[in-house]
Amino acid sequence: MIQAKNVDFYYGDFHALKNISMEIAANTVTAFIGPSGCGKSTFLRLFNRMNDMIPDTRLTGQCIVDGSDIYGKGVNVDDLRRRVGMVFQKPNPFPKSIFENVAYGLRVNGITDKEFIRNRVEESLRSAALWNEVKDKLKKSAFELSGGQQQRLCIARAMAIKPSVLLMDEPASALDPISTSKIEEMIHELKKDYTIVIVTHNMQQAARVSDMTGFFMLGELIEFSDTKKMFLNPDKQQTQNYITGRFG
Amino acid sequence: MSKKTNQGIAFWIFRLLGLIVVGILIWILGFIVWNGIGVINWDFLTKAPTDGMTGGGIFPAIVGTCCLVVGSMVVAFPIGVMSAIYTTEYAGNGKIVRFIRIMTNNLSGIPSIIFGLFGMALFVNALGWGDSIIAGSFTLGLLVLPLVIRTTEEALMAIPDSFRTGSLALGATKLQTIRRVVLPMAFPNIVTGLILSIGRVSGETAPILFTVAAYFLPKLPTSIFDQVMALPYHLYVIATSGTDLEATRPIAYGTALVLIAIVLMMNLLASLLRRYFGKKVKTN
Repeated sequence: MIQAKNVDFYYGDFHALKNISMEIAANTVTAFIGPSGCGKSTFLRLFNRMNDMIPDTRLTGQCIVDGSDIYGKGVNVDDLRRRVGMVFQKPNPFPKSIFENVAYGLRVNGITDKEFIRNRVEESLRSAALWNEVKDKLKKSAFELSGGQQQRLCIARAMAIKPSVLLMDEPASALDPISTSKIEEMIHELKKDYTIVIVTHNMQQAARVSDMTGFFMLGELIEFSDTKKMFLNPDKQQTQNYITGRFG
Repeated sequence: MSKKTNQGIAFWIFRLLGLIVVGILIWILGFIVWNGIGVINWDFLTKAPTDGMTGGGIFPAIVGTCCLVVGSMVVAFPIGVMSAIYTTEYAGNGKIVRFIRIMTNNLSGIPSIIFGLFGMALFVNALGWGDSIIAGSFTLGLLVLPLVIRTTEEALMAIPDSFRTGSLALGATKLQTIRRVVLPMAFPNIVTGLILSIGRVSGETAPILFTVAAYFLPKLPTSIFDQVMALPYHLYVIATSGTDLEATRPIAYGTALVLIAIVLMMNLLASLLRRYFGKKVKTN
């Protein structure tokens, strides 16, 4: 389970997130929508502390994953990122073989058992719906795959270390429609084992894949509710305007 | 004048200047080869100088230069690469890093003879290493340190951040990310820096003048505390202060030819290595 309590976030003087509180239940898919620059990606990246890498940022409030404050004292960030995986907007496979890409997370976490690694790589590639396409060329460079395949490889790579949460930052925005639908199908499957949070610009996608939807605007969480309700009968006028395409 | 004519004239000027550069290079190489090739034979490459350096070969100088190249790389490469990793990967963009960068640039602007004097004062005298391979290697190592740091920094900065974030997001530590993702990707370009440094080191005369180079020493070194002859210094000696300058002139050209050939061969080797690793990084 993920929880944000009164989160405020600043890039220098810029107030990027304003007093956001939210609870995300385990084994659900939650979509964040909103116009560009609304803070949805920033909010997503709080949960594996990816914003740490940006200098001159400041956070107040609490972010809780699996019961503990991930910005508390003595938190091991590497360990947090093991539990909270992430898939990025642009596929970013390493310049290694397909096999080594998926095995990477296991290797850096100290796993050396070859049999175990081989099984886990296969399992991850299967759940990313990529196994059949790559099983005969696991030793080939990941760069030889198409963009859609690379993105599914990155999802397999994130799943190989069995995180409990999977954060996806516009995972399909750089892909063609067929690859996109493959990834959406996969998200349905993955829900059984993972808590998924996905940022998307595509409202149909949010409607298709998610159980809950959060609408962000200018750093505020305008509305957070059941996806069906959100798209059929939102509480706020701003939400209504956005999803019907009147602005944004 | 029409735009097109202008364009044409500019194009021809640029092409001409480009060709002139190539021409000068070919001229220099041709001049050295033409004058030096006559003395090159197996004995010249494998024997020590004889007859007051008017005969024999330059083998000890070749060995000496190789020792100095290897020695200075052993000094400069780890220090240079590690400090470049610090400044690009760890230190952010604070005051300390800016200070280090400015100092590195200043270091590269110091005339090489100053390095020679400094090496003599510190390594030869204060540390008591005497005129020796180790003193010369440290002096040359300091000389190329800015070059190694610069090229390594550039190689590291050329790696897109998406690879770093991808690795960190999988729970890899910063060190693991650098070792397993960033360095392998940057390696080919770091090797390019190594090539440039080797070229620089093997041709420098001033830094070795007071720290290692021997005027005449037919014996090969047996330890890092021995003196050696070195090609650039040997060239200087037989071109300016030999016993019989007329007689040694061809030997001087031969020495120059060998020096150039060694540099070219090392460059070739390094670029082969670079290509090999470049491929390995992609398919591994």
